[in-house]
Amino acid sequence: MRIEAVALRYRYPRAASEALRGASVGAASGSSLAILGPNGCGKSTLLGALIGNIAPSSGRVLLGGRDLATLAPRAAARLVAFLPQFERMSFALSALEYALLGRAPRLGAFAQPAKADEDAAYRALEGAGAADLAGRRVNELSGGELQLVRIARCLAQDTPAIVMDEPTSMLDPAHARMVADAVRALAASGRTLVFSTHDAAFAAYAADEVSLMRGGSDQFRGPVAEALEAGRLASCFGVPFGAASAPSAFFR
Amino acid sequence: MPRSPDDLRARSGKVLLLALAGLALLAFCLLAGRYPRPGLLDPRLLSSDATARAIVLGSRLPRLAAALLLGAVMAAAGNAFQMVFGNPLVEPGFLGVSQGAALGAALALVAGARSEFVVAGSAFGFALAALAAAALLARAFPFGGWVLRLVLAGFAVSAFMSAGLALVKYAADPLRELPDIVYWTMGSLSGASWRRLGFAAIPALGSTAFLVAYRWRVTALSADEAVVRSLGARPALSRALVLAIASAGVAAAVAMAGAVSWIGLVVPHAARLMFGADARRSMPASIALGAYFAALCDTIARAAFPGELPLGAVTAVIGSAAFVALLARGKVPVAR
Repeated sequence: MRIEAVALRYRYPRAASEALRGASVGAASGSSLAILGPNGCGKSTLLGALIGNIAPSSGRVLLGGRDLATLAPRAAARLVAFLPQFERMSFALSALEYALLGRAPRLGAFAQPAKADEDAAYRALEGAGAADLAGRRVNELSGGELQLVRIARCLAQDTPAIVMDEPTSMLDPAHARMVADAVRALAASGRTLVFSTHDAAFAAYAADEVSLMRGGSDQFRGPVAEALEAGRLASCFGVPFGAASAPSAFFR
Repeated sequence: MPRSPDDLRARSGKVLLLALAGLALLAFCLLAGRYPRPGLLDPRLLSSDATARAIVLGSRLPRLAAALLLGAVMAAAGNAFQMVFGNPLVEPGFLGVSQGAALGAALALVAGARSEFVVAGSAFGFALAALAAAALLARAFPFGGWVLRLVLAGFAVSAFMSAGLALVKYAADPLRELPDIVYWTMGSLSGASWRRLGFAAIPALGSTAFLVAYRWRVTALSADEAVVRSLGARPALSRALVLAIASAGVAAAVAMAGAVSWIGLVVPHAARLMFGADARRSMPASIALGAYFAALCDTIARAAFPGELPLGAVTAVIGSAAFVALLARGKVPVAR
């Protein structure tokens, strides 16, 4: 399913300036798009608009050609799953119970999840490489383990598209690499992946296309090799970019 | 999916144990008392002694039923409140409901209400008014997330209702009215009857039945706002629905029994410890444990000493001790 944002504009209530100033992005089925840009450039706001958390003041979000603004929340939740950057875990659900929450858009308000839903949640944990965590409590997991379980919650939602906000920003290299491999595998399975990051190495490893954002709009959109050219990154982030000498977990 | 048979066996074992302990507790609550002498009544007297039969069936049984209902409603509402607020330290009187009910009852008593139904009705009405005030106030605050605004509004409404209660107490006749008000605010089931129970049962049972049916959604609502929204729910609407219906049950229970605290705060923690956090299991477990807890506390209030103790004092003593024990052993997960 193609996911597309066209000329989005948005201003937070009581904010001095617009967070989105005509941002446009698009990602096709079976591909992953990295939205790259400095802190405060509007990445998270753009992702919020892509999943319907934020209603843009102008512009449109299209999910498979259907205008997101016309879809009921449950219908939208069957098309696109969302991984926020942070999440507070107030209660000690097991990883399986947590992943099971992803079945919510497919069940009626008073329904209890059936065996088939629990099976789907377990398969989602397997798909995220976290099946061995199924019985563990989410508040006892490490940051890396928790991220895999949260991705499993998105997978259990069984949507054609997944949007992830900074999925590797808090992770050590091993877990960052696991998440990056999961992103690639999901795109290879035909899903549409959109994720934000400010890590060019992660984007280079996991994305097919990159959108460079600055000041609430997209500066450049294209294949990874073109987008991650040093001069372009320098103008996007405002610091010089060069080839680093330290080894990275993101290599092909 | 590999769900180990050992897990299922352990869970069934706990349920069976809880059911057996519950039956033993119910029998104990019915037989404990001061007739014909302090201690447990011999069950054989029920067939031979008409007074014993009248006491057990006519007085202790409706009172036990009222205690079970009170505990079930408060604990179910407490579990729902804690999950929906994503905060294990809130209790169901949190949005001003308990204070509102107390003010309503006090006003009715000062206004000279003789009928217990007028007092209970006024308590119920004021509890719902407090809830509505908290919700309206929360909407008016121009900052913060929905949960923060509701918490602040709840504080404000509770404080307002407490101030109102203090004024009513100050103005009340110290000989005729003040003792009734004080007694009511300490909570008691000593006046329980089938009629009085019937008055509270419909909103209380309706509220609890809703929370049981909706319990998996309550688990989902414990997640962060952005997650709940991405799962296709309308978080503010769903949370408001759960809080309003849970509060209506609490209002009915408080109108029946007076201000009885601590059940809704501490019992859900015990339920989650035994059966896990998922409300699919912790909600029914809260209801069972809350009913048992209230029944035990009321039996202590009624039978442990020659004179009746206020139920609210008994639940507070046992509940706060249990809560401190849970906190000290690290059994209450607090994220901040």
